[in-house]
Amino acid sequence: MVNMLLENRVRFQSTALHFYQNRQLELYASKEAKRLTLRQLVFFGRSMDEDRLIKSANYVRTELAVRIAHRLRDLQALPYVVVTQEGVAKVYELYWSAFEQFRRFPPINNIEENKAFCESLRKLLDEHAVVIPNLSLGLSLSSPYLAPELLDSFMRRMLISRISRRVLAEHHLALSGSYNGKVEESGATERHVGIIYTGLNVKQSIDKCTKLLKERSHHIDENYGVPSTYWPDVIVDGHLDTNFAYIKEHVEYIFFELLKNAMLATIQKYHDAATLPPIRATIVAGNNDVGIRISDQGGGLLIPQIKSPSDLFSFSHVRNATRMEHSRLGALRTVSSDPRGVKATVEEQVEPQSESPEKGVGMAASPRIGIGLPMSNIFATYFGGSLELISLDGWGTDVYIRLPKLGTNLEGIEV
Amino acid sequence: MKLYSRSCISATRKPAIASPNFRSHQYHVRKAPAPVPPEVVQLLASFASHSPLPISLAKLLSFGRPLTSKSILDSVSYALHEIPRRLATRVRHLEALPFIVGTNPYVATTLNAYRESFQWLATYPRVTNLEQNEAFTAELEHLVASHANDIPTMAKGFQECSRYMSPTQISNFLDGAIRNRISVRLIAEQHIALSRALKSPSEEQNVTHNGIVNMKCSPLDMVRICGSFVGELCEATLGASPPLIINGHEDATFPYIPVHLEYILTEILKNSFRATVERHYKLHGNSSTWPIPPVLITISPPPKVPGVSGPKFMSMRIRDQGGGVSPTNMARIFSYAFTTAGQGADGGQDESGGGPYAAQHVGGSAAIGSGGTGEANLFGEITSKGLQMGMGTIAGLGYGLPMSRLYATYFGGSLDLFSLDGWGCDVYLKLRCLDEAGDAQI
Repeated sequence: MVNMLLENRVRFQSTALHFYQNRQLELYASKEAKRLTLRQLVFFGRSMDEDRLIKSANYVRTELAVRIAHRLRDLQALPYVVVTQEGVAKVYELYWSAFEQFRRFPPINNIEENKAFCESLRKLLDEHAVVIPNLSLGLSLSSPYLAPELLDSFMRRMLISRISRRVLAEHHLALSGSYNGKVEESGATERHVGIIYTGLNVKQSIDKCTKLLKERSHHIDENYGVPSTYWPDVIVDGHLDTNFAYIKEHVEYIFFELLKNAMLATIQKYHDAATLPPIRATIVAGNNDVGIRISDQGGGLLIPQIKSPSDLFSFSHVRNATRMEHSRLGALRTVSSDPRGVKATVEEQVEPQSESPEKGVGMAASPRIGIGLPMSNIFATYFGGSLELISLDGWGTDVYIRLPKLGTNLEGIEV
Repeated sequence: MKLYSRSCISATRKPAIASPNFRSHQYHVRKAPAPVPPEVVQLLASFASHSPLPISLAKLLSFGRPLTSKSILDSVSYALHEIPRRLATRVRHLEALPFIVGTNPYVATTLNAYRESFQWLATYPRVTNLEQNEAFTAELEHLVASHANDIPTMAKGFQECSRYMSPTQISNFLDGAIRNRISVRLIAEQHIALSRALKSPSEEQNVTHNGIVNMKCSPLDMVRICGSFVGELCEATLGASPPLIINGHEDATFPYIPVHLEYILTEILKNSFRATVERHYKLHGNSSTWPIPPVLITISPPPKVPGVSGPKFMSMRIRDQGGGVSPTNMARIFSYAFTTAGQGADGGQDESGGGPYAAQHVGGSAAIGSGGTGEANLFGEITSKGLQMGMGTIAGLGYGLPMSRLYATYFGGSLDLFSLDGWGCDVYLKLRCLDEAGDAQI
């Protein structure tokens, strides 16, 4: 009893301190974010030398502090009841600690200092792996307190800023790694600069995701646990030799999630049929964009909880009633307390078979938390692309992805 | 000082200075058009003062179920009541256009036509028996046919007036005009069809049809009909046409108005066929042996979803490999302004060389079927069916997509276009099943 009273008093004091010490944050938040284009990221990393690496380190150091400061101010503007909610409170605390760390990190002057910086950076990235599920949980629970447009636009700003910071951080870490002569883990033979693959072959990415998906067993998701041993084929047509420069992880996540949805829908609809209708992926190299259309015959988006396909990107229960469903919230809670978190990558979803035999092979025991489509949308729109879904009710769903290929668009974050 | 003007050249004229019209020979006189005769003004006022009561589709269809002499007489008195009211609204809207637009001969022609039709209907004596109804119905048919060219006429007029009205103004006006037109024709054609059905009933007809609504309208049949019509037109004008592949639920049927579906499909297929052939020529030359990519239509009937109630829709997807629509043009393909944006103002061609979906102005090089006789051809191809327009006309005006969308959304459906720039387009059509659309407002 006494301990609780003491704790409350400490909390109250720290809250008050928090209020009066907001000045530092406001200082950083008043600065503008320096957005980059994909091309700039590539050019900068092409001919690396010590000077450039140091420059990159300091850019990351200051830029991330500014961007996190913007997010913190955004969080501070939300209703009190929202930020004190489970999930959101945790994210707020994580962001504060990250902000403090970045702000206090001294300027980097040489390779040694960069090494220390990279270590801290890596540690922070890992710590923040839990942000997405916690934020999703918190905002879904807060849905009654926020108008759908406000909730969704806030969520969008948070998620897109997050991936922008991770892009900058991971790019710098990759550049540092290759500068220090580290051996490429993936044994990648493809041309790349940092995390940007300059010769990303679209067909290869689609085929890779198809292969990874087919290696999974059907028992992963209880709803779709059908005792069959085959998956629908993915037939690729269009401009098959399309190559362009992009962040491989992002592209593959989008394909993986969309193909996963297409496959699961197809299997569910044709679970007692002899053959499964294939999924068709069409690749198109336009003048400024690369277009990909994924067509399935999974019966369409007949989800009574939404009014239109774009509601699937929403975190508000007003637009998408599944956000408040018991099973969904339960799943989010489970994932939120797992330190591995959810980083929205393909890699985390494809664990080597030997590691978790009792959970069934393939995907880590992640129940469906509903972030695949919203995150795909964020990745697609980050550099000015788009993602649209349309349902041919009763027949199937078509998804249209557009990714800019010239690399001249600025990051889509708020300044 | 010049005492003699040009008129002195003619020997039969009096010396100019003596003529009371001396001044009039030195510059042109502009006279405003004659005002409307007062009795018409009064009629219009009485009808237009009550805005048309939106009627429900259920009401309109009730005249046909059951079909009796009494129900026909109810139908005719309904038509005589509602149609003039709607025509009066049309007249009012036309009269409200800027004066300079109203003096355009095409717009003026349309206004006069509406005024005349209104007057005829508003003063028509009551119809009390089937004989009178037959006479009335025959004349009504003539009236409907005489208005067949309304849209191309107005379109031509607006093209010429593009500098006097903003694209939004034109667009709002045309939206209202076309919707109004659809409703008038709906009421008129339904009455005509019911009268015919009463006169010469056929077992089959009574079961599957309710006037112009076919309770078992087959998308497959409609696609085949429109496909062959458009295919022939395409062959005739471009020299080739793409194959048409139909898949999905081919046997599905739904209650709809065949003429509407026919119009929409014709427009969409015209776009797809022309785009596909033109792209094919661009990529492979005019006389290649490469196969032309097909246009693929998928039919999907309303799915049965447990726990979901509400309006039911028949869905169709028309997929082509016509090269798609560029992002810049995407914003414009559903707007009339895309057409009426000055025939010569921007050189008549956009940066992609006109493109398959771009407005190809009447008389311009890409207007198919315009031959050398320009305007004569514009109206020459219009058949008596009224709604059906030849490739050289609607294609030349670029109205196909916005009008198709108006038809599709009329009963609460939708029409959406998605483009894969550099590959092709997908058009998604959703049409409301009319058996359970009683609440739809006409």
